[in-house]
Amino acid sequence: MTAFVVRRLLLLPLVGLGVSGLIFLLLQFLTPAMRASLYIHDPKQLNALPDLIRKYHLDQPVYVQYWAWLVQVAHGDLGWSETAREPVADAIRGYFPATLELALYAFGFILVLGVWLGTQSAVHKDHVLDQVSRFTSISGASLPTFVWGLLLLMIFYGHFGWFPPGRLSLNADLYVRSGAFHPYTGLMTVDALLNGRLWLFWDAAKHLILPVATLTYYLTAVLVRITRSSMLETLRTDYVRTARAKGLAERVVVDKHARRNALIPVITLGSLLFVGLLSGVVITETVFNYPGIGQWGVEASQQLDIPAVTGFALIFAGLLVIGNLCADVMYAIVDPRIRLS
Amino acid sequence: MGRTGWSARLTAVILAAAVAVSLVTIARGAAAPVKNPDTFIELQFGDITSLDPALAYDIYSYEPVWPNVYETLIMYSGSSLDRFEPMLSTRVPTLANGGVSKDGLTYTFPVRQGVKFHDGSDMTVNDVVYSVRRFLLQDQAGGPAWLLLSPLLGVDSTRDDKGKIQVAWADVQRAVSASGDSVVFRLKKPFAPFLTIVAAWSSIMPQKWAAAHGDWDGQAGTWQKFNNPKTEDRYAFNHMNGTGPFMFESWDPQAKQVILVRNDHYWRKPAALRRVVIRTVTEFATARLQLQQGDADLIVRSLNQQSQLRGIPGTIMQDNLPQIALQTLQFNYKINTEANPDAGSGKLDGAGIPPDFFNDVHVRRGFAYAFDYSANLSGAYAGKGVIPHGPIPQGMLGFDPAVPIYQTNKDKAIAEFKEAFGGRVWSTGFKFTVPFTAGNTARQTGAQILRDTVTALNPKFQIDSRPVPASALNQLLFAHKGTMYFLGWFADYPDPHDFAQPFLAANGYFPTRGSYKNPEADRLIDQAVSTPDPATRKALYKQISMIAYNDLPYLFLVQPVTYYTMRSWVRGWYYNAIFPGQYFYPIYKQ
Amino acid sequence: MSAVHARPAALPAARRAKAVETGWQRTLRRFRSNPLSVLGAGLVAFFVVMALLAPFLAHPTERNPYMIPHSGYASDPRPPSPGHPFGTTEEQFDLFYGVVWGARTAFMVALSVVATAVAIALALGSVSGFYGGRADEIVMRVTDVFLAFPGLILTVVIVAVLGQSVRNAVIAIAVVEWPTYTRLLRGEFLRVRDMEYVQAARALGSGDLRVIARHMIPNAVYPLLILASLNMGGIVITFAALSFLGLGAPPGYADWGQLVSLSHNWIAGTAGDPFTYWYTLIVPGTAIFLFVLGWNLLGDAFRDIFDPRLQGSR
Repeated sequence: MTAFVVRRLLLLPLVGLGVSGLIFLLLQFLTPAMRASLYIHDPKQLNALPDLIRKYHLDQPVYVQYWAWLVQVAHGDLGWSETAREPVADAIRGYFPATLELALYAFGFILVLGVWLGTQSAVHKDHVLDQVSRFTSISGASLPTFVWGLLLLMIFYGHFGWFPPGRLSLNADLYVRSGAFHPYTGLMTVDALLNGRLWLFWDAAKHLILPVATLTYYLTAVLVRITRSSMLETLRTDYVRTARAKGLAERVVVDKHARRNALIPVITLGSLLFVGLLSGVVITETVFNYPGIGQWGVEASQQLDIPAVTGFALIFAGLLVIGNLCADVMYAIVDPRIRLS
Repeated sequence: MGRTGWSARLTAVILAAAVAVSLVTIARGAAAPVKNPDTFIELQFGDITSLDPALAYDIYSYEPVWPNVYETLIMYSGSSLDRFEPMLSTRVPTLANGGVSKDGLTYTFPVRQGVKFHDGSDMTVNDVVYSVRRFLLQDQAGGPAWLLLSPLLGVDSTRDDKGKIQVAWADVQRAVSASGDSVVFRLKKPFAPFLTIVAAWSSIMPQKWAAAHGDWDGQAGTWQKFNNPKTEDRYAFNHMNGTGPFMFESWDPQAKQVILVRNDHYWRKPAALRRVVIRTVTEFATARLQLQQGDADLIVRSLNQQSQLRGIPGTIMQDNLPQIALQTLQFNYKINTEANPDAGSGKLDGAGIPPDFFNDVHVRRGFAYAFDYSANLSGAYAGKGVIPHGPIPQGMLGFDPAVPIYQTNKDKAIAEFKEAFGGRVWSTGFKFTVPFTAGNTARQTGAQILRDTVTALNPKFQIDSRPVPASALNQLLFAHKGTMYFLGWFADYPDPHDFAQPFLAANGYFPTRGSYKNPEADRLIDQAVSTPDPATRKALYKQISMIAYNDLPYLFLVQPVTYYTMRSWVRGWYYNAIFPGQYFYPIYKQ
Repeated sequence: MSAVHARPAALPAARRAKAVETGWQRTLRRFRSNPLSVLGAGLVAFFVVMALLAPFLAHPTERNPYMIPHSGYASDPRPPSPGHPFGTTEEQFDLFYGVVWGARTAFMVALSVVATAVAIALALGSVSGFYGGRADEIVMRVTDVFLAFPGLILTVVIVAVLGQSVRNAVIAIAVVEWPTYTRLLRGEFLRVRDMEYVQAARALGSGDLRVIARHMIPNAVYPLLILASLNMGGIVITFAALSFLGLGAPPGYADWGQLVSLSHNWIAGTAGDPFTYWYTLIVPGTAIFLFVLGWNLLGDAFRDIFDPRLQGSR
């Protein structure tokens, strides 16, 4: 097992090279003047472009720039993000926990709801529960996240005033920045509890409810469908039929045999879902003005902030490798027949 | 009896007054009690790029800098754009008091004593000299240094086209120096707007503090190393230390929020607000909702969102605030047609336009008479603004309503197009695309109006428009590939020179994009900026405006007005068109 | 059944014909028996008709029929009125026109992406699945790199680099979708490759290309159909998201996502009524919703019917 894990972890730098190489390859499509535009904010500064191109070495061949970037990364420096106005590493360190917090809560709800609903749906196929849950999940998968998010915001903040946008209210934000607060994990809800401040916990939670609801709806719908079809397949397989024929109680069949095996594709999808979450989080963060990595990522891409784009592409690639690794380890746990080769 | 009557009446008056006051208070603040009474929260929608007064050049970055945290030698008096009062200097230099020399080349500012910086140190004349020299010599690419470099050293940049340093320390020393307790500026040529530039762009910071944090130490031999820094190289990029009524507390670039706190040792009476928060919120819905809920005190939004902000209970709208700005539609006299799909075929064959298409004045006049300016003003700008009479905006010295404007006239447009290129334009037609900044609905509408009005004249006239992201537009303009394009200009300082020069001088921003030049305009512009006499200048700017009318390098579309929406408990706020944002010093909440 | 009883003269032949139900009839029956499948098919058919009849339902006035005509330049949206049955967006673009021609755009975009992804998948997946070994390894690693990117970010980067246009958005989405199709095809090819009749064909000396074309591709059609129909809706949502971020169709283009993005400034309504401009969001939002719903239901139905692993088990 350890050898397997280590071997997979060695994949990380390779994937990193692939991803960053891909991005720098895309740079071929950009002229130095376009990239220098990152540093100006008004056409009146256009005369400065040649100066900027010279200053940031934007006229050098792409492979030279890539090599320079690699050398820089080897020294532990991911570069400066002009859009974030701070070093790329700091930006990632700052934005990532916010997104992680949002994604973790959403992921939890999605997984629990999705698996439970999907299983129940498959077991009670074609009954009312199944039809209702199928329709709800399909319609959930049909509504764009931003439409749903804007509607929620309009109703629950505009009309009722309960759940505000952003990450923290002003007073909470000022408190967090003062010396009295110790950030342990970067996850606001967790840190609030660790600091013993219940009101802060509630403040952070209040701001998380709508974004989490927005994310959850769409992806739960997707997961329910997948779980259901996966369970349906499993329930039809031979060994389940055998178990039934042997006279085992239905519940035992479902819990012990079917669910275990239905979980296998679910685990795969769980890890893909996680990465999908980090992608879907982009729109949600924009709608709710939530300061996370998705919102920053889009802005950086739009402004051609190459160090930033490369930086967080690496993070996501790393996450995926680790996610796949966890999935593989979980396969081995769930199904003893699978040997990790 | 008399006493009873008198005191009864007095009591009645007092009671009535009390009732009246409380009624007013109730009527005004009926909506809600003041939230966060000592904190002011402003929501805008731009990005702060730097807090270094020598490097920040856009209005969002400059708002916390001036005049809230850093201050300058003289200050605009209230809402006035041409009257000054002393600030960190004890007197406004004039010819009369000898602060300005007879030849207009020397300005002397006595520096105020007893002013402390935010770190507790005393401000001395050396700090003033250092700050201005630093402003001149840091000269970041694309920064504001040219504003003072131009009058003081006669160049637009410390570096030449190849990037080599082209200013000498001796010149700098001579241009900005200390003389006793005064700072003395020596100009190369007389420059009428010098005082107004100093009023907005001479922020003072402490030399020792800067040097202690890795910045230039003010010495002769070292300044070249500190020239053209990268944003992140300077401590002052995200740390501030000035003399202003507010001190810098924090800048969280991730939360996009700057927090300022009151300076209790301010050299005047301390501000009423204890804390100021400036946040960037790009989503309109969230900004508006936060204003509605009272979480925000003032929000800054764009013109096309104004109708959704009217009548929100508990808020007032400060409307029709004049801006020293112009929105224009510009012609490119020499289009780079290489790999330029916007120019179509690149030839006058009905499927494109040749590089010198807009060089023909008849073509330009055709567009000028065809465009529907009032539809643009009412549609793109919701009627908020005025049609400009040339490059000098209303409210500026030199503005003259007698300068003619082009009125929409379909027949004249057709006549002009028929004369263009000896009639070939009318018979063959043309096709080109207008690029505009993506997301800018005003320009999108303007492009549509251009298309609709011109294509209606002749079916062979084809115009398209396409939105492009800012970086792509900059690239297009830089490579001279733009055909016609919308550009706006916001004043750096409130003087007609800041409009005449960028629009009409051969080395001005816009002529270098569009390849326009007129030596007569150059001559007049030079003359107008060197003369101190307002009457002479006015006459010269009238001539300059006439050149703009006759040469027609641009269509002057709108001089917009702006608005701010704020909670009704905001008091003391006032507007000056040159402020990049709000001046928080006089504001209080009640 | 009643038809049989109504024609007593043809009874014997009809009864014999009824006894043997063809595969297609069985498919159709199973399809019809599920109300959700019927709903899905109905919705998709509705949009197909709308797309085909677009020039008649909403007469184009611009040279490019995908550009929505606008009457005037006022920036506030106007509610439904005669002449504008669904109202107008900001800048006075007609919502009815946008919805009708938007159906064409949706099909065009989704089908282009699917076609591109399938083309790439056929080329790479067949090489990978058929030959295995080194080629398979390389193709798998390449798909890994592409899948390592969160989809939306990759599309945003590509469109930012190539420039905003419908064509570039289609390319960007296709770049994100092709790995999934490739993996599916590869899986299918692997499965079919080892079947006896394929091995027999190869042993008999049939060229590789022939084997792939005649034996392997037809067997991969059904899973591909399921994936594609389930994907159609997702593609339209991704395209709408790109437009929301300002990277998809340009303003004024007849695209549902673009119409929603035009509404997002007006979501908050006016001071007295947060729902003043409800139609700017609800009209195009409903169009997207119904379109995607239809395809999701249809894709589900296809899967329930065609998935070979589910056949014969009822």
